[in-house]
Amino acid sequence: MKKWLSLFVVALFVLVLSACTATKDAGEKPSTETGGDKEEAGTETESLPTEKVLHLNNGNEPTSFDPSVGFDAVSWNSLNNLMEGLVRLSKDHLAEPATAEKVDVSDDGLTYTFTIHDDAKWSNGDPVLASDFVYGWLHMLNPETASPAAFLAYFIEGAEAYNSGTGTADAVAIKAVEDKVLEVKLNTPTEAFLNIVTNPSFFPVNEKVATENPTWFAEADSFVGNGPFKLAAWEHDVSLTFEKNEHYWDADTVKLDKVEWAMVDDTNTEYQMYKTGELDVSDVPAELADQLMNDPELKNVDQAGLYFYRFNVSQEPFTNKKIRQAFGLAVNQQEIVEFVTKNGEKPAEGFVPYGFIGPDGKEFRETAGKLTGFDAEKAKTLLAEGMTEEGYTELPEVVLTYSTNEAHKKIAEALQSKFKEVLGVDVALQNVEASVFGAEQKEFKYQLSRSSFLFDYADPVNALESFITGSSMNRTTWSNPDFDKLISDIKNETDEAKRWAMLIEADALLMEEMPIFPIYYYNQVTLEKPSVSGIVRHPVGYLDLKWADKN
Amino acid sequence: MAKYILKRFIMMIATILIISTLTFVLMHSIPGSPFDEERTSNPTIQANLEKFYKLDEPMHVQYLYYLKSIVTFDFGPSIKKPNESVNELLARGFPISFELGMVTILVALLSGTILGTLAALRHNGIIDYLAMTFAVVGISVPNFVLATLLIQQVAVTWELLPAATWSSPLHMILPILALATGPTAIIARLTRSSMLEVLTQDYIKMANAKGLSPIRIVIRHALRNALMPVVTIMGTMLAGILTGTFVIEKIFAIPGMGKYFVESINNRDYPVIMGSTVFYSAFLVFMLFLVDIVYGFLDPRIKLHRKEGDA
Repeated sequence: MKKWLSLFVVALFVLVLSACTATKDAGEKPSTETGGDKEEAGTETESLPTEKVLHLNNGNEPTSFDPSVGFDAVSWNSLNNLMEGLVRLSKDHLAEPATAEKVDVSDDGLTYTFTIHDDAKWSNGDPVLASDFVYGWLHMLNPETASPAAFLAYFIEGAEAYNSGTGTADAVAIKAVEDKVLEVKLNTPTEAFLNIVTNPSFFPVNEKVATENPTWFAEADSFVGNGPFKLAAWEHDVSLTFEKNEHYWDADTVKLDKVEWAMVDDTNTEYQMYKTGELDVSDVPAELADQLMNDPELKNVDQAGLYFYRFNVSQEPFTNKKIRQAFGLAVNQQEIVEFVTKNGEKPAEGFVPYGFIGPDGKEFRETAGKLTGFDAEKAKTLLAEGMTEEGYTELPEVVLTYSTNEAHKKIAEALQSKFKEVLGVDVALQNVEASVFGAEQKEFKYQLSRSSFLFDYADPVNALESFITGSSMNRTTWSNPDFDKLISDIKNETDEAKRWAMLIEADALLMEEMPIFPIYYYNQVTLEKPSVSGIVRHPVGYLDLKWADKN
Repeated sequence: MAKYILKRFIMMIATILIISTLTFVLMHSIPGSPFDEERTSNPTIQANLEKFYKLDEPMHVQYLYYLKSIVTFDFGPSIKKPNESVNELLARGFPISFELGMVTILVALLSGTILGTLAALRHNGIIDYLAMTFAVVGISVPNFVLATLLIQQVAVTWELLPAATWSSPLHMILPILALATGPTAIIARLTRSSMLEVLTQDYIKMANAKGLSPIRIVIRHALRNALMPVVTIMGTMLAGILTGTFVIEKIFAIPGMGKYFVESINNRDYPVIMGSTVFYSAFLVFMLFLVDIVYGFLDPRIKLHRKEGDA
């Protein structure tokens, strides 16, 4: 009997518990509009069969919707759909006229003249003017804005001087020659310029709005964009609501009525919400990558970037090229993507990833061919030769350093066992907290350390120029006059075919000298409900929902 | 009493100053800066950013700015969220963490006390074993494991409750369950052991002998004293839970302030580090102070002015 009594008491406290939560919250937020998201969406579809609402996850609160400031995917994947630059990436990842209907390039490749669409309007109805671009771009270059993206505009005459505080805004060659005509002059002919200006940091800023309210981008009420969607609501740290922008010049193409963005930081939770139908798209949790890889709802597309390791060529034994090559060839990229990362990546065979099409219409990677890969015999021979050259009887101690993270650790361990197996070398592992790692790598404190690269614009030179002498992205102390000359020639070459050949040569030279060895190319793996179509993900660029649809 | 409070108040200010100075020294002595990211770093851009956040000033000048920001409680803009000031981040996150934490504490206090009392009353009986098994499991299973398990079972498999986010009372149930289990278990164990001790005291025998009803004895006489250890841990527990919990907030996508403690340090977001540390320490010191006051009410034997003599 007494047992039953206590059971009753336990039941009672469970009841109190739930009552407690309900009343507490009911008092605080009587009318949360997102309450019971799933059901609400359901009834909406019943009453308005045409309403198309896409549920996405932005992961986190955007850093900033000021196009000059939010220099990251968490800001730009969403902002890319609220605003639009002069050109926009097409479904095939090529820069095509967008807010500008016409782009004229002078014969010397230095002057670009953009004519803005007559219909191009801001979400408040104002026409988009050339002066809005001038205003936005100069805002980015103003040193007081401290825009992390400003270096992208250094191709423009006078831009670097203004940004570094030695020049003036007037001297920057961005001019509104007419209301709807913008003229930009470059320092050197830059093949990738149109691609660069698809980047969100080159979005226009409504001058009238921004002059009245300098923090126009901070709240939904004051936000004014010119993209396929407008910002209807923004509950900070919780959600974003986009609605179709009726003022968009190409509004007929836009099929979705609404996009609801959650901000869920945990991939497991995101996946579980995808399972319950609260989200239409989800990332793949690392633990499930293996079993979801063949799921019909899984999409796997290239992302231009790679995971690689840097040698410090000033520290023994990696001062010797053959020893570097020996370590590089002992790495089995295929095994790492197949058994360690298991996320459907492509093993790296050179520094430039997939996703770059040359003037001949062929993939860069295919023309360049396999420049590095596992070769146990050759690795052993090279190590022996290298040791003889240096007069080593025993290899100096090697420490491999990575930033603390489960995924990095697994790869480091795979490398360690391969170096032991192939070369018979015991490599010590060391992990360091990420920010410390970042700082110390730049100070050349590590012998052999992990690294990654993501493209800022779609041109192989963006990756390759990292390794010119003294570049802040070099971080290996490697310096090679032939390579430096090659990169500088590439930047001045106007003949596309010749330029492409030189890019391939540079990739080959880098792999031959091996100040780094590549592991795998990044990809974007997502789960998408079968009802969703037309979401475009670019190898370089941000999420595009202009053509997205949901049935 | 007034003298005691004044003295405690001055101690509180001193404690906070010491904590914040230590924080300043520590956060600047760890290597790395807010801008040490993997991606492209251009020296000009770096210089512009450092100037924007006054990180180019000499260390002692930065320390003065820092002291000023503590005194005025205005920590300036966050480095990772340049649109927002640290004050705005805290003002937005804290009420949510507080709401979640308050309900969690109430649930834990209520259920922990009941469980612990029942266990003590049925010492070495089946209820005792069940309650203590629950307590051991509750203490040993980390809340993030429990959280993931709850989402998987209740939200995904049974489809009873939403998986995550913070938008309705229904959304609150799973995070509260996940968060309250640990504290419930701790409180249950504490209550049980001190209850067992209290129940053997003479005054309980006396009450029994007087023929008082068992319920009255437990609630009026035994529980009041048995709760003293619970009150002691309440100060730190309250401060810890009310200011947000990183893992639970992350898993359930709750927009509280818990994440700032961890992420600000990973990002070397100096203004957020100092904002959250100063806020947390002030809150903790205040809670400990409250606990001392509560002692006096619960146990008349503890006199505040006597403690003054001790200190």
